[in-house]
Amino acid sequence: MKLTNGFDISSSALTAQRLRMDVISSNIANADTTRTQMVDGKWVPYARKVVTMEPKSQTPFSQMLQSAMGNTTTGEGVKVTQITNDQSPFKRVYNPTHPDADVNGYVDMPNVDILKEMVDMISATRSYEANVTALNASKSMITKALEIGR
Amino acid sequence: MFLLNQPSLNLLERSLSASTLRQQVISNNIANVDTPQFKRSDVKFEEMLHSELDGLSVEGYRSDPRHFYIGKSPGVNAEIITDRQSVMNNSLNNVDIDTEMSLLAKNQLRYNVMIQQANHELKQFRTALEGRR
Repeated sequence: MKLTNGFDISSSALTAQRLRMDVISSNIANADTTRTQMVDGKWVPYARKVVTMEPKSQTPFSQMLQSAMGNTTTGEGVKVTQITNDQSPFKRVYNPTHPDADVNGYVDMPNVDILKEMVDMISATRSYEANVTALNASKSMITKALEIGR
Repeated sequence: MFLLNQPSLNLLERSLSASTLRQQVISNNIANVDTPQFKRSDVKFEEMLHSELDGLSVEGYRSDPRHFYIGKSPGVNAEIITDRQSVMNNSLNNVDIDTEMSLLAKNQLRYNVMIQQANHELKQFRTALEGRR
């Protein structure tokens, strides 16, 4: 059992939540971006990005070894597995003056919903704060343990 | 050397390591608060210790050290249990952040109490060893 295992667990979550925050920022920043890439001579708007997370666990070998040695193993925190594009359809907005409008005057706008992003942002902030609290708790416990026998 | 091998210090040591393990388990729960299908875990120690101290569990008589332990184990070790039954939200995750934060605070306080107790016992040894100087 490593002394600073609690640090690693909490910091993996801090990394994951910060990445989530970065992706949300990117979504908000690109809420009106209509030109991401050219497909068949037509501009495709920005697609909302979604972060997927999964629990980080030890390698199967390490898990087997630890359980064979009679040690209890905890999880190792969290990791981001992938950043995917939201597959929901783009918003079609009537704006004939837009340079990317089609022949009928409609523009494909990104499928970013600002409200959704704001709610996600609050959720990410709160999770980040919770993990900072857990990290501080681990830190104060280890500091306290160093005082044994003083 | 039996001076430092007192049952109370051994018990404190075991409780401290259970508390450290619980800290890691709770940290892991908090880390996975946004992970779909994650199930929370907890450390089971106090109940087992309690039943051990009460002598409620039946213990098999061992006439040879190679015999199996029946009922009681040689010492109480902390155990991680995962709650796979309950569901908190639509992502099938069952981490309740408020519960986890309060468990974290509780565990930290308990840890501090045990550290203080260990310090106190060690201070008593020191007094016994040095006398009044």
